[in-house]
Amino acid sequence: MSSKINHHHQNDKTNGQIFPQPCPHLADFHARNGTKPFRAIQDCLHIKPPGGRAAIRRDSSEVPRCGVCGDSSCPRLYACMACAAVSCHVPPHSSHVAIHATKTSSACSHEIAVDVDRAELFCCACRDQVYDRDFDAAVVLAHTTSIIQSSKPENLRKRRRIDYRPWSPDLRERSLMVNNASPIDSMSSSNGDLPRGLRGLNNLGNTCFMNSVLQALFHTPPLRNYFLSDRHNRYYCQSKNGVRLCLACDLDTMFSAIFCGDRMPYSPAKFLYSWWRHASNLASYEQQDAHEFFISMLDGIHEKVEKDQHKPRRNGDCCIAHRVFSGILRSDVMCMACGFTSTTFDPCVDFSLDLEPNQGSSMKTSSTKTNHSCNCEADGMNSSQNCGISTLMGCLDRFTRPERLGSDQKFFCQQCQVRQESLKQMSIRKLPLVSCFHIKRFEHSSVRKMSRKVDRYLQFPLSLDMAPYLSSSILRSRFGNRFFPFDGDESNTLNEPSSEFELFAVVTHTGKLDAGHYVTYLRLSNKWYKCDDAWITEVNENTVRAAQGYMMFYVQKMLYYKASEKQGTS
Amino acid sequence: MIESGEKERLKELLRERLIECGWRDEMKSLCRAYTRKKGRNNVTVDDLVHVITPKGRASVPDPVKAELLQRIRSFLASTAT
Repeated sequence: MSSKINHHHQNDKTNGQIFPQPCPHLADFHARNGTKPFRAIQDCLHIKPPGGRAAIRRDSSEVPRCGVCGDSSCPRLYACMACAAVSCHVPPHSSHVAIHATKTSSACSHEIAVDVDRAELFCCACRDQVYDRDFDAAVVLAHTTSIIQSSKPENLRKRRRIDYRPWSPDLRERSLMVNNASPIDSMSSSNGDLPRGLRGLNNLGNTCFMNSVLQALFHTPPLRNYFLSDRHNRYYCQSKNGVRLCLACDLDTMFSAIFCGDRMPYSPAKFLYSWWRHASNLASYEQQDAHEFFISMLDGIHEKVEKDQHKPRRNGDCCIAHRVFSGILRSDVMCMACGFTSTTFDPCVDFSLDLEPNQGSSMKTSSTKTNHSCNCEADGMNSSQNCGISTLMGCLDRFTRPERLGSDQKFFCQQCQVRQESLKQMSIRKLPLVSCFHIKRFEHSSVRKMSRKVDRYLQFPLSLDMAPYLSSSILRSRFGNRFFPFDGDESNTLNEPSSEFELFAVVTHTGKLDAGHYVTYLRLSNKWYKCDDAWITEVNENTVRAAQGYMMFYVQKMLYYKASEKQGTS
Repeated sequence: MIESGEKERLKELLRERLIECGWRDEMKSLCRAYTRKKGRNNVTVDDLVHVITPKGRASVPDPVKAELLQRIRSFLASTAT
């Protein structure tokens, strides 16, 4: 069945806009119904979130059905502009709307209809979509009103914030503000030499593991910004109604205390108590593992939010802890017999890296990787070969290199349908905003029932480029730059934020496994500060480089403010 | 399924997925190519739908199909009494 093609759709330029000439039926409709015939339909225009698409409904729960065949599932249903009868249009099989159009009553013709799901005009006689300025204006108007209506009340209900009302201080308020405030940047070394946000933490009984991680978190840029900009308000927090504790509120309290400008050491007793209630198995005065505390804390922050907002864990958008620290690891297991590769993606909040068992084994296929800042005299990666020093990048190389799964760990290959020897390779699918590298220095062997600490020195750079460890790079090197079909995922890496990171905090451990001490080094305005429980001192960069790194915190370069050397200049 | 609004939700989800994977842009460019070939004034919406539909149906990515089928199944299971 061929459709009637209308040759009258010429173009007409008005006000620089090209507008197609109306078909005779549309022109006729206009003639019969006055200058603004479509404004009447305004009431029925419903803008559907989230896409903001316009639909025609008499009431929001209406389910349109074809008046002739009763079908509501056909893709295109049209409502007649004259009598509001709904008909379906399924060329070439049947077109009830075309049949309807042939009905002519004395007052009006039933040729113009509107698509109920898309709010588009249709001329039944010409069997084609038509365009009208007045109608488009009505749709745009409906859009604008819906945006105005939907924004504020939604926010009010869900976020419990006050309506924004602009305000400027009167004279009395202005003098109040000036008299009770002190300028922030009056640090021309008058307020001591310490920048804002540095405050010692009292040790409450072997709590240096907690103090060290807290110091690092207080200066994690996205986390600090989140709490200091009142995104989690401990006075309005929902989950505190009742007995439920909220680690995020306690963290908010501490952020306020740390950044208020008071230099006396702070005692995080309340937070410690809250954390004990959250992680009751770790509640004791014994020394705990700083990394374990870190994980437990992120979990505590997440747990609270998950119950609140039912947000999906997809892409780590559920809570601030995951938004800052969560990345995605890719694991490929390749069958060595047939080459079939099985890929899985797992979220992670940090990277736990092994130190090589023997020195000098960090030399491998380093020539393909980029250079990194290194203390050794020789250039680039060759230096680690020569010095035999373990480096962070060496550990990352080790982490992402293909590993043969032993014959006792044969993987079931889906293609071969038997267990085969396989090759496993890790890579990073999505980098987090803040990467925490945890060096596995504590080895617990359940077989030999002993634990030991690996004291070996690890060299870490101030600036780190994670590009060689991304899935895209690892895959490219595996296939030797040959063209191969990307699964839909990989193309997203083009939109990946930068892979360059800057170091801002180092948690170090000195001493033995059972009797040791944690200290954090913080990098602020390109100066290094040692945070040893209640004592904060400025130290030389070389002191930090020589320290025994246990957890290193790197933030994406674009989030890292390299303030000018001179403070107080603006 | 229509009356509970589930169909609408699934349609929205499908729309989102098809946009994400570039299917919609592909269809758009097919439409443009066809219209250019035929001439702008010689094409109707019906024509386009007729031409695009088989190609569109064939090029929906498998994971998208799988996800939608999964959701429909679980919806039907949840409302079966």
